[in-house]
Amino acid sequence: MSDQYFDEEDFNTQFSKKTVLRILSKTVPYWHWVTGFLATVVAVSFLDSYFTYLSKRIIDEGILAGNKSALTHIVTIYGLLIVIQAGMVFGFIYLAGVLGERVRYDLRKELFHKLQDLSLSYYSRTHVGWIMSRVTSDTERVSDLVTWGLLDVTWAAANIVTSAYFMLRINWRLGVIVLAILPLIILVAIQFRKKILHEFRNVRRVNSRITSAYNQNITGVRVVKALGREDANLAEFGELTSDMYRASYRAAWLSALFLPTVQIISAFALGGVAWYGGLQANLGALTVGGIQAFVSYITFMMWPIQDIARVYAEMQQSIASAERMFSLLDSEPEVRDRPDAYDPGSLQGDIEFDHVTFYYDEDKPVLQDFTLKVRRGETIALVGPTGGGKSTIVNLVCRFYEPRKGVIRIGGVDYTRFSLQAIQSRIGVVLQTPHLFSGTIRENIRYGRLDASDEEVEKAAQLAGAHDFITAFEKGYESEVGEGGNLLSTGQKQLISLARAVLAQPEIFIMDEATSSVDTLTETLIQKGMENLMRGRTSFIIAHRLSTIKRADRILVIEDGRIVEMGTHAELLRLRGHYYNLYTRQFRHEKSEELELYKLLGAQAV
Amino acid sequence: MDASTELAAFELKQALSANRLRGLWRIMQGYRLSYITANLSLGLAAIFKTATFMLLRYFADHVVGRPEATPILPWIAVGFVALATIEGTLTFLSGRLAAYTAENVTRKVRNYLYDHIQRLSFAYHSKARTGELIERVTSDVDAMRRFFSEQAIGVGRIFFLFTINFTALLYLNVRLALISVVALPIVLITSIFFFKRVTKVYEAYQEQEAVLSTVLQENLTGVRVVKAFARQDYEKAKFEKENWGKFLKGRRFFLMHSAFWPISDLICGTQMLVGFLVGAWMAIDGQITVGAYLAYAGLVVWLIWPLRNLGRLIVQTSTGMVSFGRVMDIVKEEREPLDAGDFLPEGDVRGDIVFRHVCFEYEDDDSSVLEDITFECKAGQAVALLGSTGSGKTSLVNLLPRFHDYTSGSITLDGVELKRYPRKYLRSQIGIVEQEPFLFSRTIRENITYGVGRQVSQEEIEAAARAAAIHDVILSFPQGYDTLVGEKGVTLSGGQKQRVTIARTLIKNPRILILDDSTSSVDTETEAEIRSALEQLMKGRTTFIIAHRIQSVMNADLILVLDKGRIVQKGTHTDLVSQDGVYRQIYEIQTRIESELEKEIHQADQPGERTPEPSLETQSPQPL
Repeated sequence: MSDQYFDEEDFNTQFSKKTVLRILSKTVPYWHWVTGFLATVVAVSFLDSYFTYLSKRIIDEGILAGNKSALTHIVTIYGLLIVIQAGMVFGFIYLAGVLGERVRYDLRKELFHKLQDLSLSYYSRTHVGWIMSRVTSDTERVSDLVTWGLLDVTWAAANIVTSAYFMLRINWRLGVIVLAILPLIILVAIQFRKKILHEFRNVRRVNSRITSAYNQNITGVRVVKALGREDANLAEFGELTSDMYRASYRAAWLSALFLPTVQIISAFALGGVAWYGGLQANLGALTVGGIQAFVSYITFMMWPIQDIARVYAEMQQSIASAERMFSLLDSEPEVRDRPDAYDPGSLQGDIEFDHVTFYYDEDKPVLQDFTLKVRRGETIALVGPTGGGKSTIVNLVCRFYEPRKGVIRIGGVDYTRFSLQAIQSRIGVVLQTPHLFSGTIRENIRYGRLDASDEEVEKAAQLAGAHDFITAFEKGYESEVGEGGNLLSTGQKQLISLARAVLAQPEIFIMDEATSSVDTLTETLIQKGMENLMRGRTSFIIAHRLSTIKRADRILVIEDGRIVEMGTHAELLRLRGHYYNLYTRQFRHEKSEELELYKLLGAQAV
Repeated sequence: MDASTELAAFELKQALSANRLRGLWRIMQGYRLSYITANLSLGLAAIFKTATFMLLRYFADHVVGRPEATPILPWIAVGFVALATIEGTLTFLSGRLAAYTAENVTRKVRNYLYDHIQRLSFAYHSKARTGELIERVTSDVDAMRRFFSEQAIGVGRIFFLFTINFTALLYLNVRLALISVVALPIVLITSIFFFKRVTKVYEAYQEQEAVLSTVLQENLTGVRVVKAFARQDYEKAKFEKENWGKFLKGRRFFLMHSAFWPISDLICGTQMLVGFLVGAWMAIDGQITVGAYLAYAGLVVWLIWPLRNLGRLIVQTSTGMVSFGRVMDIVKEEREPLDAGDFLPEGDVRGDIVFRHVCFEYEDDDSSVLEDITFECKAGQAVALLGSTGSGKTSLVNLLPRFHDYTSGSITLDGVELKRYPRKYLRSQIGIVEQEPFLFSRTIRENITYGVGRQVSQEEIEAAARAAAIHDVILSFPQGYDTLVGEKGVTLSGGQKQRVTIARTLIKNPRILILDDSTSSVDTETEAEIRSALEQLMKGRTTFIIAHRIQSVMNADLILVLDKGRIVQKGTHTDLVSQDGVYRQIYEIQTRIESELEKEIHQADQPGERTPEPSLETQSPQPL
């Protein structure tokens, strides 16, 4: 489903030699596997041709000669070769199959490792679904090309070559006649495949539109019913399904036409064999067995041609996949260690924004000439409207991004001189929408410090105020949190992510407070946990709750990338400005919650 | 509307049958002839293939090595080409007809399901899971399509190839024919057994794929957490584990394949070779001609090898059947009759509404949702509903458009019992502005005119948008009214969405209005804008407001305070403030908040005095 919203780009890719070489280079570590399956597949193909030759000998040397001992002799050889061939078939399926899996594994691993290095900026401009497709479907296509694609082509080529060899050997004149139609068939086959592939792309495109139409109609069913739009909807959908019908019917009958066409063309070769072969036979230049062999070889050559055509058509798609995949692999992280980066051993000290400018898009500055000095141990509350630049400030502190202009100093040193690991391992972050990973509660808390003992994990949970609700679960710390933590409530997730940050023992604490309200008890616990974390640490809080805001040493009202008001609670309230508006509104909100007004009114808790 | 009547004419319910094959047969209605022809062509094609080998026999026995027969050589050649052409044409015909059937049937099924789902009752939709429903209408329908286009026809093909070739073999020589099929049951059984097993292994492989995707997705969406804790290596190890797991499962899958194919190769190869030996022996002894042997050697290939794939087809067919069953589960559900009702007024309703002792409970749940609701309101009046979550406010208004039908009591609209109005008409008279407005992934223009059912001029759209205070916002987007909403376009805020809905409702111009006034998620400026937009909307319409704030009920003509499905207080603002009860309680809380706020600000205004610890926290312990 994740793919449905992305129309895959069109594949007008030129046959890029560089990309193909790069794809092939992925198999270099397994070159013996590749040579192994290629050699076996050639041998299998040769044996197949040889079987036909043996059939010819059964006819000529056994039947026509009336020689039973020769017959048994040939059949014995035939039998032995069948057994050998079976062993080889085992070999190439296993080798190619396992190699394919291995290449996929390698590619996924390489991509994943790259993804861990890329900066947040990459993630902010790249859709998660797009990245997922690169790691899942593109790796499949590329590895299929270097294994099954390569195998099919080799097999087909070997079939053609060996058949040609035996045909020429049996009767070269007749052989030449048959081989003459080969290029024609290949040409026709490739044209067919291209057309078919094109139609299938249309099918996929319409299909994703159909899925999304279903999705809209089901999720919006209340509106559909309320507005009585059923008939119009059906008429629209009917157009979609008609498009689908046209595309898929065309794709299907083109596919159905393909094989018969190849067969009919090859029937001309067969007719040629009958005619000219008959003449030759009458001259004694060809035996009955020879004619039979020719008939078999013709079929034998025609089958693989459709494989070549298929691989050729799919190759373009695979190359496009590979190019997208390589584009990911070639992305450079924007934020990375300088060559001389070092670990200062501690991040304690004042934090200073010195005329910092930052933008995601050059023409839309987020922070402009921003200057701020935060003393060691100070708690800063950032308030203001969404999109004003609060998150950018904390993202810069975390060095998820670096200033475009200006400098950020920690303890007087430009922080880009430190290693990323040194900074990020000393910052504790609690996000607005707490992100948990599938696994147990214990694993999620331990994420903060991997070598923490069970006692330390539980201690952190206690400090964060999470211990009580955790132990109330039947399985306690071993309870599964579900995918993305969806088995827990928002408040519980917040408490666990607090515990995770507590365990990390950070020197700088950053919190993006959740806007969604939780029950009063959990709220109290969260406040307490935060307080524990903030004590003695330089803290940046994107704050929403009044209690948090008031507790801060300094409140910054951020709007349009600037500090519009700064000071303590009382100072700012007196200004009757932005903070005043913000405060009164939040006050009403929290009070209504506290006095259970919302409950009486049945309002959605927001 | 032509298209939709044609589309709606098809009734999939008739395909409901205990026997799934019979059900599938019924679905094919209208295309059965082409499907039968497809199968017949396949049989004919098989006959012509066999004929090719018979021609080869004649050629070997009567032409080759006989110089006197040279003149008929060209005819033999023409014969081969002709037979192949006929066979090819028939094969193509069969493929094309099968595709024609499969695609047409699928189109009908898709249209039917789409329409069916949008006409299923509210009760169904509140229980159904979107993801699962979509899975059924896409993947399962596609499995059905493959059943028609690939599996059913594939099985037919193998069946024809087998019977016709076997008949030909019997004609050539009975003993030889029988010897040639000795191992076939083994091939068939091995193949079915294998494909069953390998399907399971493949499912395990797919499950591992899903696990791997989850790890990846969690990593990508949680990238800030990963970076914040510098946990890249830990994540790599986690991914490695599942990635390797997938490799192992994939290896197992290919190991099975690499075992099955050589084994079946061996069985089939041996069977064929035995046939060759016996046939050749008989040819030497003169029991069959050389030509017969040649024909035999060609035919036997088409007898044996296709059987290896029969197992795959059979296993796939069974999954196709399961999919069919899952699709029919949806079809079984009853639709909401939109046109049922014997009272259809010419024009619009006035909007006088009377509730008398109305009760409502859900079908599968005995506890009543609404009990003994009695009130009345005149056309153009506003009724406000107040009460906690689950008090029945939403259920009450859902009765008006007949999303649900009341179980007892009576509701009249303009003096006529509500149940006598067709749902379609009723809904055309009622406008709804929801708490969480849903917009479609279309342009803003299309969203505003959605469901209007007539041509709407740009002026009218803009007028509505202006009245809903959303026109300026729309113009601020680069594409204006043609801006796409949602995933591929702009994301609108809750308040903006609500205003688009208001514009939509203004264009619809209903006589009765249902409003959910939740504006708690929007900021102060928009709140005022929405309020005035709503006031615009309410003018001259009978309005039901699900209120979440006292400000929006104060002007209502009638306020109903609900609790546990009953009306506990009823009256105007002035009536209710002077009564003891929930309403006054709410009113007093609001007054109290305002006075406390004033006190807070006053305190901060005292220069030199630091704000005392927040009064909010008096109830929360301060252990530190």
